Amino acid sequence: MELNAPEIRRLVKDCGLYLCQECGKCSASCPRFLGGREYSPRLLAQKLITQPGDRAYIENAVWECLSCGRCEERCPSNVRFTRFIREMRAILAADQGLMGHQAHDGALHSWMRIMTAPDLRQDRLGWLTPELKIDADSEVAFFSGCAPYFDVFFAGLKVDTLGQARDAIRLLNFLGIAPQVLANERCCGHDLLWSGDAENFAALARLNHEEFRDRGVKEIVTACPECFQALGVHLPRVAPGDVIKVTFLLDLVEREVKKGGISFSPLERRVTYQDPCRLGRMSGRYQGPRDLMALIPGLEFREMANHRQGSICCGNSAFLGCDAYSKRIQVARLNQARETGAELLVTACPKCLIHTTCALRDPVRGQPWNLEPVSLVSLLADRIQWSPAETPRRD
Amino acid sequence: MADVNILGIACNWSPYCCYNAAGQAGLALPPNFRLIRVMCIGRINQALILRAFEHGADGVIVLECEDSDCRYGPGPEVGHTNVARVRQLLRYLGIGQERLVERTFQADQRDEFVAVLHGFAARIAALGPNPANPRQERVA
Repeated sequence: MELNAPEIRRLVKDCGLYLCQECGKCSASCPRFLGGREYSPRLLAQKLITQPGDRAYIENAVWECLSCGRCEERCPSNVRFTRFIREMRAILAADQGLMGHQAHDGALHSWMRIMTAPDLRQDRLGWLTPELKIDADSEVAFFSGCAPYFDVFFAGLKVDTLGQARDAIRLLNFLGIAPQVLANERCCGHDLLWSGDAENFAALARLNHEEFRDRGVKEIVTACPECFQALGVHLPRVAPGDVIKVTFLLDLVEREVKKGGISFSPLERRVTYQDPCRLGRMSGRYQGPRDLMALIPGLEFREMANHRQGSICCGNSAFLGCDAYSKRIQVARLNQARETGAELLVTACPKCLIHTTCALRDPVRGQPWNLEPVSLVSLLADRIQWSPAETPRRD
Repeated sequence: MADVNILGIACNWSPYCCYNAAGQAGLALPPNFRLIRVMCIGRINQALILRAFEHGADGVIVLECEDSDCRYGPGPEVGHTNVARVRQLLRYLGIGQERLVERTFQADQRDEFVAVLHGFAARIAALGPNPANPRQERVA
């Protein structure tokens, strides 16, 4: 396939790449470029338009992007760069195969593709402990995503993704919701979608959609910003039919807390917050997590130098292309967190938690960071309580 | 015997000695058994084992040296960790952890090696095909 094929030219046009003024703000804000990698969104846009014959540059650059969207945030011409990368990867992959370097040797992408087998009967609910209130007939389902799989695969990191899934259900239970947990939900497909495997993403989306429908689910609650994006925004494009409401757990908590009567027990710690790209830039949720943390008495919140729209990636997304430059991004980010004097690095995304934990556990650095990555869901689940005056009567 | 694919992943040292000796003695191995030789089981990570199942293996047997015999150090111990984790992943996936096993051999255990392969092949044949029907990564 030539890189000036009509399909690619249409995508370049649809994503607004012709509007590029070559100001270079994208490259100057790209974490990968700032990490020292010779990768420039500006040059990629320029090459696609003026030199589509430079296949070597273009085909390499398309797989470099972290899809964090920081370039898009800065772009004065509103070039939709992350969408371009997502769809361009799918076009290239359909033609040439999946070319991105898959981190962890592709193990995660492998189990995601295995889940496209229609007759698979997963055995994934062993983590549900008796104190969690589950209702198999509920119209609300908690989507646990890859939590059970991460828990095994990243056992060496001790990120306890299943503990966070249990904490999410504890929060729901506190709010009076006993969700069902689907025995055979598939991966949301986020990582396949962003690594060019559109075919298998669509297969997962359709299987999930069928599962939701067959189990009478009207609303999905997820604690993962990637699942929230993949199920809420991308699933309906490939699995038409009944629309299933997708709710981000912290939105739900925020809404309920604002009704009053709920408070949090104190936490005397200095805390900073990593904005996940899929939650902040892609879903526009910057304030919610901060509002929730502000409700915890004693918690001293300190903002990192780059925060909200300017936040920097945790180093990797879609488990694609983790390398020395990812590490430099992570170290830079962790240094920002340390400079705030924070003891806890709170984030709302399981992937951010995995990546920051991985970078912090690096045995080579030697020096202690005195920084502990924590899931916001767990932080809230451990402290949520009825305000003393408003404890519901139990008689 | 059901039509199942068995993949062996063997360390070059003790297990491959057994395999070689079995071949020289003309001992029959299970049908549909394929072997991948690696220099050390420490090279095999979770992804490579999962990939075999993604591509349609019905059973995978990881053939290792004994811990104390490793030419390189921690090879078999890395193997134990990875096999334990992938077995758990296979259980979650509904493929079943019994489809992945590891066995250790000394270099002179030719007959034990052959017997283990036949035993494993028989168990996989009884289980039938891998429920994750094979899907290939697209290649150009």
